[in-house]
Amino acid sequence: MKTFLIPATLLVLCVSAASAFAAPGTVLRNDKLYSQPNAASKAAGSVAKGASVNILSKQGGWLRVTSGKSTGWIRLLSVRAGAGGLGGAGLGDVVGAATTRSDPSRVVAVAGLRGLNDEDLKQAKFNADELARLNAWHETPAQARSFAAQGGLSVTNVAALPAPQPAQTPSTWEAN
Amino acid sequence: MKIKVMVLAVSLVSFSGVASGFDFGKLLEERINQELNKDKQTQPAPAQTSPSPDASQSAAAPPPSAKQKIDAGQLGFALFGDYSPEEETRIGKQIAGNLLGAVPLVRDDKLQRYVNLVGNWVALQSGRKDITWHFGVLDTEDINAFAAPGGYIFVTKGLYQRLNSEAELAGVLAHEVAHVTKKHHLKVLKQSSLIGALGQAASSKAKGSDQVVQNLIGNGAEIMARGLDKNAEFEADRVGIVFAARAGYDPWGLPEVLQDLAGLPAKDSRTSLLYKTHPHPADRLAELGDAVGGRLDALHGKDLPGRFYRLR
Repeated sequence: MKTFLIPATLLVLCVSAASAFAAPGTVLRNDKLYSQPNAASKAAGSVAKGASVNILSKQGGWLRVTSGKSTGWIRLLSVRAGAGGLGGAGLGDVVGAATTRSDPSRVVAVAGLRGLNDEDLKQAKFNADELARLNAWHETPAQARSFAAQGGLSVTNVAALPAPQPAQTPSTWEAN
Repeated sequence: MKIKVMVLAVSLVSFSGVASGFDFGKLLEERINQELNKDKQTQPAPAQTSPSPDASQSAAAPPPSAKQKIDAGQLGFALFGDYSPEEETRIGKQIAGNLLGAVPLVRDDKLQRYVNLVGNWVALQSGRKDITWHFGVLDTEDINAFAAPGGYIFVTKGLYQRLNSEAELAGVLAHEVAHVTKKHHLKVLKQSSLIGALGQAASSKAKGSDQVVQNLIGNGAEIMARGLDKNAEFEADRVGIVFAARAGYDPWGLPEVLQDLAGLPAKDSRTSLLYKTHPHPADRLAELGDAVGGRLDALHGKDLPGRFYRLR
C-alpha cells in the first residue's frame, strides 16, 4: 500500500508541476522541433514564425513545447514566452494589449507598485553619500577569482558572436 | 539625423555669437563632420586623436567671463578626441551620483557584496582593465538595470527579485558590462545630446558634484531615461551573453530573464521605463537568436541557483 502511494503522490506532484509551468508562447522564426534537447536528435516536426505554442518545460538552451499535434524541443531563442505574439514590431502589440485588457486582475495586481519615470531621473540631485557607499564596495580581481573558484566557475573559451548582416547592402564608402 | 544636427549646429553658432567672440561655428562643423563620417571610415581622421592647436588657441583667446558656462576646458573635454579613462570615470561618477539621488542603494551589505563579486568576475572576462567596476542594487520596485561610463552598474531590486540563479544575475550584469566596454553612453554623449547640453544652464550645485560634467550630461540622470539606440541594446545582449559564458556560467541566463520579462503584462508601471529605453524582449530574443544559432550548443556552464543570494 505504502509503496503504491508514494509513486502515485509523485505522479500527482509531477503533473501539477508540469501544468503550472505550461505557458503560452509564440515562435519567433521558422524552426525545427527535436525529439531531444539536442540538435543532433531526431526531428519531431517543424514550426513556423508566428505560430502559437504551449511551453511545457525548459532545459538549458531548450524549451519543450507543443504546437498543434506535435510535441518536441525547440531552441530557447526561437520562442518568446507570454501572450504578446511576435513582439514590438509585429502584430503582437495588439494581441498583447487585448490580453492585458481582458485580464484586469493582472493589472490590478501591479497597480500599487510604481516604477521609475523620466521626471524622477530628470529631477535627481547628486547624492555624494550614496556614491561614497557604492565606491566603497570594491572587489579586487583576486577576490573575484577566488569567489568564482568556490562556485566551480572556470574561464571558458567562447568566440565573439557575429553581428547580424545589415538588411541593406552596405555602402561602398570604404572601397572608394 | 543630419537635419537635426544641422539645426543644433545653427542654434549653437548663434548662441556662441552671443556668449563670446570665439569661433564655435567652424570648430563645431568640423567636429560634427568627423562624427558623422566616423562610422563610414576605417581610419580615424588625424584631427581626432588630439585637439588641434588652432582650436585650443582660438578657444583660449577670449577672456572667460565669470558667468560663462562654456569654458575652454569644457569645450576640449566635450568636443575633441576620445575620453581618457579618467574623463570616463568622471562622467560615470556624476551620472551614478545623480541616479543615486533618484533612488538609493538597498541597505543589505551581504547582497551588495555578492553582486559585486559576480559582477567583477564577469567584468574580468570583458578585457577592460583600465577601470574599477562598481555594482549596486537600487532600492526600487522598478524592473531595470543601468550602466554608466567608467564601470558603474546598477540593477534594481524589482529586477533582482525576479531572478532565480547566479547565471541569470551574471547575464543581466554582463549586458550592462557590455554597454561600458562598448562605450555606448559615451558615444551618445559625443554625438548629439552633448551639443544641446552645451547651451544648458547649470542647475544642481550639490556637494561633490562635477559641474563641468553635469553640463555635458544634461539634467540630473535624464541620460538614463533617454536610453540608447536599439542596435546598442542588441549588441549588448550579443556581447553580454558571451561574457557570461566565458565566466563559466550557463549562457542562457540572460535569455531566461528576457523570457520572464516577455511574459509580463504589457501595461506594468514597473517596466514602463525599461520598455521606453529598450526594444521589446521578444525582439531582443529574436535578434539574439539570429546571432547565436547553434554556436553555444556545446557549452555546459553553471547556473548556481543554490548560491544565488535571495532577497526577501
